Amino acid sequence: MTPEPNFTVKELMASFISHQVRDGERVAVGAGLHVPRAGILLAHLLRCPNVRLYVVMTFTSLLKEPRMEPFYTVYDNRPTKWAEGYVLHDDFQEDPRLVSDTFVVGALQIDKFGNSNLIGVGKDYKHLQFRGPGAVGTLSMAHYVDRYYLFVQSHDKRIFVDKCDFISTVGWGEGGADGRSKLGIPGNGPVYCVTPLCVFDFDETSKRMRLKSLHPGVTVEQVIENTGFEVIVPANVPTTAAPTDDELETLRGRIDVEGMLRR
Amino acid sequence: MLASERKSLVIDLDAAAATVRDGMTIAIGGFINSSHPMALVRQIIRRGVKNLTVVGAASGGLDLDLLIAAGCVKKLVTTYMGGEHYCPVAPFFRVAAQRGELDIFECDEGMFYCALRAAAQRLPSTPWKAGIGTSFPQINPEIKVYNDPVSGEPMLAIPAIKPAIALIYAAQSDAYGNVQHVSTGFGDRAMWRAADKTIAQVERIVPNEEIRKNPLATSLVGVDAVVRAPYGSHPFAGPGYYIEDSDHIREYVAAGNAYAKSGDRKPFEQYLKKYILDPPTYEDYLEVVGIKRLLQLHEY
Repeated sequence: MTPEPNFTVKELMASFISHQVRDGERVAVGAGLHVPRAGILLAHLLRCPNVRLYVVMTFTSLLKEPRMEPFYTVYDNRPTKWAEGYVLHDDFQEDPRLVSDTFVVGALQIDKFGNSNLIGVGKDYKHLQFRGPGAVGTLSMAHYVDRYYLFVQSHDKRIFVDKCDFISTVGWGEGGADGRSKLGIPGNGPVYCVTPLCVFDFDETSKRMRLKSLHPGVTVEQVIENTGFEVIVPANVPTTAAPTDDELETLRGRIDVEGMLRR
Repeated sequence: MLASERKSLVIDLDAAAATVRDGMTIAIGGFINSSHPMALVRQIIRRGVKNLTVVGAASGGLDLDLLIAAGCVKKLVTTYMGGEHYCPVAPFFRVAAQRGELDIFECDEGMFYCALRAAAQRLPSTPWKAGIGTSFPQINPEIKVYNDPVSGEPMLAIPAIKPAIALIYAAQSDAYGNVQHVSTGFGDRAMWRAADKTIAQVERIVPNEEIRKNPLATSLVGVDAVVRAPYGSHPFAGPGYYIEDSDHIREYVAAGNAYAKSGDRKPFEQYLKKYILDPPTYEDYLEVVGIKRLLQLHEY
């Protein structure tokens, strides 16, 4: 019997996402997704002191802040007490890269090439089975940033589908290493897809989704059973690295003080 | 004869709401659960305005859902319809969209601001690149794919969307329409630039001298009318004044979900009656919400 891990899967995903942030970048902290939000802040506090965080339309550095409170919504005025400067929301088009070098995109559906859908589920746009919230800024951000990450809070065949009913954000299009460039889309596209079961990356040639690591206790079969397309499974699939004690201490003491990732 | 008097632009809530007529295109400022001109929105509902094209904020939220629920909206222009952690998808929007009862100008934030920018610049459209390879040109036939005449590469033409009136919430204005937001003002400037007319609903009307202390803070340099409504973004946040009223938002979402899940419109009808139809004046609305609740919504 392996002992119960001393962290939650949300904390594990936050830790993984934190390792995708590079020091010196601009990083937007977007709406809705607590786990990526925590991961970005974790990167900033532990490894990336020179990140420019884009929070509630303001830029800031939070190294000297003992606790990130309150910090759960993208519209809350209170975090603007930290602001060093603004990039107004409607000035976003002047230079989308001013806002962020990287981004995290959520989805209702994701296909094998990392194309994703926040519009709705159903074949007929005028009569959807489930109407989603809409694309927010995901499409334009994912288009212009250096690279982005897909993130979902559950992993099943309704989310991971062979073909999205609608595409709101392009991943690798129809596939292939030139899947984006032949559409004239800049940037390096989706790099990883983070789920509660595993992390996917993309095969270098086909740009099809490939199992990169399994979270502790998850089997390859579980991933295959819960994914609606054929996953590329390498001979050896490592376990996703557990968050370190330092990471857990910073997450719980300074970032996720209210315990959203521990529920 | 020398000119000496500058004209006050201050009008009352009902006079402001009366400028919004059936079938108009209007913009409503703010962002998700913050900074919506809710005193005006409720007054528009009380007046029974129909068939509006509503350019909601990028991103919009439950302010627009309330207008849909009350039967005011024919067409919606926004990028997001939800309440972040309060509700992933706005309930009346979801049902109306699924039934095909609502026209939606499907777009993301980049396209949304292109549409407003085109209107401000008196252009028929502006180009945007993000969206090539997506479903947007198929599900939104107003967006056209074309080849850029300079580079030859495929681009999207995002059509101008021109609001007749923009309704904006801000912290303060003087009587002459010099409006100052607290915090960034989200995308409100883009609506102001695009619209034929703008009405600012503010927490305070301040002396002109107060504005001149910090002219760089003047975010909308001259609107057409100013309406005073303290706590006027309630139940959403008013930056610099109050945070959102979580309990009230949850009450609305619960009423919406009862309809979305089982078709039961009664809880919403009760909400509508209690907060919008029954209180004869704006002050009565605040009394129904209650002073204790309002004073608990402080930012500190």
